[in-house]
Amino acid sequence: MNEILYIICLPLFAGILLYLIPEKLRTVKGIFTTIIAAYTFYQSILLFNGQTGICSLKQLIGFSGYSELFTNSLKDADKYVSFNIDALCQLIVLFVNLFALLIIIYSLFYIDKNKKISNYYSFVLITLGTSNGAVVSNNLLLFLTFWGILGFTLYKLIRGSDEESSATAKKTLAIVGASDGIMILGIAIIWKITKTLNMNEISLMTSNALTITAFLALLIGSFTKAGAFPFHTWVPDYAKDAPASSTAYMPASLDKLLGIYFLARICNYLFVLNQWLTFTLLAIGVITIITAVMMALVQHNYKRLLGFHAVSQVGYMIVGFGLGTVIGVAAGLFHMLNNVLYKTGLFLVSGNVEHKTGKEDIDQLGGLSKAMPITFICALIFALSISGVPPFNGFASKWMIYQGIIEFGQGTGIANQLWIVWLGLAVLGSALTLASFVKFISGLFLGKKQKEFEKVKEVNILGWLPIVIIALGCIALGVFSTNYFVPKLFNPIVGEIKLIGIWNSTTVSILILISIVLGVLIYLIGNVKNFRTEDSFVGGGETMREDSHMATTGFYETIKSFGFLSILYEKAEKRWFDIYDLSKKLIFWLGRIFQAAHTGVLPNYAIWVFAGLIIMLLILI
Amino acid sequence: MDSLIPLFVIIPLATAFLIPIIGKLTIYFAKTITPVVLLILCFYSITLLLSNSKETYIVGGWQPVEDIPIGIYLVLDSFSILILCIISIIGFLVSFYSFEYISYYTSENNFYALFCLMIAGMNGVVLSGDIFNLFVFLEISVIASYALVAFGVGKNELEASFKYQVLGNIASFLILLSISLLYWQTKTLNIADISEVLQTSDDSAFLKFTQVLLISGFGLKAAIIPFHAWIPDAHSSAPSPVSAMLSGVLIKAVGVYVIIRLFFNMFVFTHEIAMVITVLGTLSMIIGALLAINQSDIKRLLAYSSISQIGYIIIGFGIGMVVLSKGGKVSIAVLAIAGALFHMVNHAVFKGLLFLCAGAVEYRTNTRDMGQLGGLAENMPITSTSSLGASLSISGIPPFNGFFSKLIIIIAAVQARFYLVAFLAVVVSIITLAYFLKFQKRVFYGVNKNYKNVKEVPFAMSFSMIVLVVLCLGLSILVIPSIRELILDPAVNTLINMDQYINQVIQY
Repeated sequence: MNEILYIICLPLFAGILLYLIPEKLRTVKGIFTTIIAAYTFYQSILLFNGQTGICSLKQLIGFSGYSELFTNSLKDADKYVSFNIDALCQLIVLFVNLFALLIIIYSLFYIDKNKKISNYYSFVLITLGTSNGAVVSNNLLLFLTFWGILGFTLYKLIRGSDEESSATAKKTLAIVGASDGIMILGIAIIWKITKTLNMNEISLMTSNALTITAFLALLIGSFTKAGAFPFHTWVPDYAKDAPASSTAYMPASLDKLLGIYFLARICNYLFVLNQWLTFTLLAIGVITIITAVMMALVQHNYKRLLGFHAVSQVGYMIVGFGLGTVIGVAAGLFHMLNNVLYKTGLFLVSGNVEHKTGKEDIDQLGGLSKAMPITFICALIFALSISGVPPFNGFASKWMIYQGIIEFGQGTGIANQLWIVWLGLAVLGSALTLASFVKFISGLFLGKKQKEFEKVKEVNILGWLPIVIIALGCIALGVFSTNYFVPKLFNPIVGEIKLIGIWNSTTVSILILISIVLGVLIYLIGNVKNFRTEDSFVGGGETMREDSHMATTGFYETIKSFGFLSILYEKAEKRWFDIYDLSKKLIFWLGRIFQAAHTGVLPNYAIWVFAGLIIMLLILI
Repeated sequence: MDSLIPLFVIIPLATAFLIPIIGKLTIYFAKTITPVVLLILCFYSITLLLSNSKETYIVGGWQPVEDIPIGIYLVLDSFSILILCIISIIGFLVSFYSFEYISYYTSENNFYALFCLMIAGMNGVVLSGDIFNLFVFLEISVIASYALVAFGVGKNELEASFKYQVLGNIASFLILLSISLLYWQTKTLNIADISEVLQTSDDSAFLKFTQVLLISGFGLKAAIIPFHAWIPDAHSSAPSPVSAMLSGVLIKAVGVYVIIRLFFNMFVFTHEIAMVITVLGTLSMIIGALLAINQSDIKRLLAYSSISQIGYIIIGFGIGMVVLSKGGKVSIAVLAIAGALFHMVNHAVFKGLLFLCAGAVEYRTNTRDMGQLGGLAENMPITSTSSLGASLSISGIPPFNGFFSKLIIIIAAVQARFYLVAFLAVVVSIITLAYFLKFQKRVFYGVNKNYKNVKEVPFAMSFSMIVLVVLCLGLSILVIPSIRELILDPAVNTLINMDQYINQVIQY
């Protein structure tokens, strides 16, 4: 298992090395980073095909042949440094490294001297090393250390030289750092109860207040990392203000993989959930789906829109894990992979559009489909995937989740009885997703092209290659899901998956393909040339050509004006529901109370000293 | 060969008196001799720390009469050497930093003389084995610090120094009162000897009264709430290197150190006292953080945050005391005390660094108001990077040292069933993160409105900051068990085994 050393230490040391190299050699740094990432990816494939099991530090580096001082100083560290390779880890590590490689290739194109992010590649590599470390570590404290570093690199991968992005950077690290702090509490309680920190030895019943607190504390950690309600508020802001490659790298792929990985760990390995916790998980899952997609519907900034979708999709995974059944867990993991694929793809698409047009608002864009054909086709595939249209991958995993919910409904618990609610809301979320992606695709790519974008061209190969690879992945995972990918990837993790509904993805895909071919044939055979085109005719006056550009977002404004919803939207825009702003207000208010007591009057201060003295005397004597 | 430990007091004291004399000839004497002297002490203290040596030195060779110590004892054990190390290392870096910084002011000789005097006083407090000399050294160091706070001789500086003197004198009065009460009751001043006498006495009301007086007096020096009121003014008005020294070292050496030494090695602490100390620590931790978040002056923010961080240290010791007094598991107490000691070392490093960074910003922009600053990261990359390291460290973001010490304290609190304290410690750590991110955003990120042509600070200042930020990362290795055993555990053992200290002094 020497691969563990390579996938953790190589990117880490390379990242620290790059930190010391001046910023002017950006291209050299980029190419070096690509080579490191490619090699790490190769090692992760080896790890994926290698054996599983627990691996201590001693086994990993072998203590013989080193100096005595080194051996002695690491002898005790062995207790805290141990790694656990199981099928879940192997899968996650493989995908972490795959996406890191793709996004680093994309960054070669995307990060130029206009994007003033100092030490971008250095922090990208450090992120890669620590993510790998977090996934493979078996000891909770080691895990937490790696996990916490990711918050810091997230902070450094955003440019902080203007007011908005610096505020977002602050908010991001504040929320992520807070969740890491809360996780310490959970881990401390686990240590107190079980006397061990090795994840493979822990299996706790959630029967008393203490274990439930521990579970919730760790749950907050994974929710914040993955971006689930109500700890998701940093994701849309980050998506809006960070460069697209950073967003694709951290919140869209690596953080999502890690957050969901840890959710799977705590729900299925570390804790045995009671029915109320199952209920809570399912409820949070559907709330996440609905609230985030409702917010996405009314966005004007397309990066922020994608950010809200990154949150919404997490809801499906939480539902999957909340079910806790074999299908549910497999569906949750499958949806995680699919989501990372299309969401990373979408962020890279948004990066391409932003790079070429410099605009971030849907209202100002349109008609880019001819200018950027590859980007457009890929964006369409991703949009159909995320909306759950067959035969793409998004449908395959959502189908499994629906089946999981139906099967779950046969149980007797409180959450089981409510299965129709979960199912209905999940399907509703999917429909709303489709609605908002109609806006995304038509607003960016369809409609009338504006004059200022005449010169916009397709991006170069470094820009489109990663997107095309991801799009092919979306198709492949969708078409061959039931026959190949689901059994191959998830059977080692959850065991044999038995689906109750009949769904053979390949057959259905062939059917859909045939119907499309038939449709095209009919279209071609018919009298297609005989269309009559006429300028639009309005009220007997002169004919008007539709030069005016109609903003797609306008159609969605009507949602905002529904009575009850309008109030909610208004409050949401004032950030009434943002946990960050709420706690900020509370703390500032408390702070002002104490501040008011500090008047600067010396006699008061002297009185405090004696008052403290007297109170202590009264208590003690 | 006789022990060399008196050098820790003699060398800085002698330097302090040489500077005004020789400094008349050349201005560079003071500037060079102070860092050199402190560097020597630095190496010596690190050697002592690594060799884990215990030494006792009797000033003037006054041997004990019938096993009763009558002379002045200087005692070096694992706990005091740790503090001596902090004093010397931070002292050296701060004096090196001052090389450029203090040219800003007039009469540099006085600055260095007072600085050496303060170091001599702190070293004396840490080494002194009898309680009255401890008081004398305490007064030497705090009186030097009164003068240093007023060093700018502006309106604010003088006002801050005046408040500091008044409150400091109240504290000194309380301490002196309790020392005289102890002397009246036990007829001795030697800490080890007092301890032996107290073990046989049973006048608990008297003892409690003395203990409360001591907590109040030294609590004021350590800036524990409600005895903290002098700290925001004094720390923000002093020249930045002095603030770094006051906040990073002085409040620990003459405040926390003495409380811990006296309660662990002199008194037999009761459960109530242990609870009082834990509660005081918790209060300081919370209120300090809540006060810090509203500040717009960089150094006031840092000063309030010191109160909060001292709270963490006190909580660590307090939990250890509670566990020991209830006869709980020693391993939990060891964990808590080790966490507190670790945090004490860490706090000296990162708070020192933060004040130096604030000084660097003030040196170039002449302001401490965060509202006017912004976007300095591009102009001052070294200051920005090092202050980011220190900020993340103090807010407990891995892999910086602050994360590990807070982790140990929180784990110990949970193990000792102080769930509420553990929860509050986490909450305060989040608030700390919030206000340090605010500090980062307002000063180094965002838009640079007013200070577009600002340059990075000169070498001497940036060197000290770089060393400290490397220490912020490097001290994390103390969490590795075998290294902790070498450095922190001996100090913990000294504290929890009272006999060890007594035997070292009495049997000498």
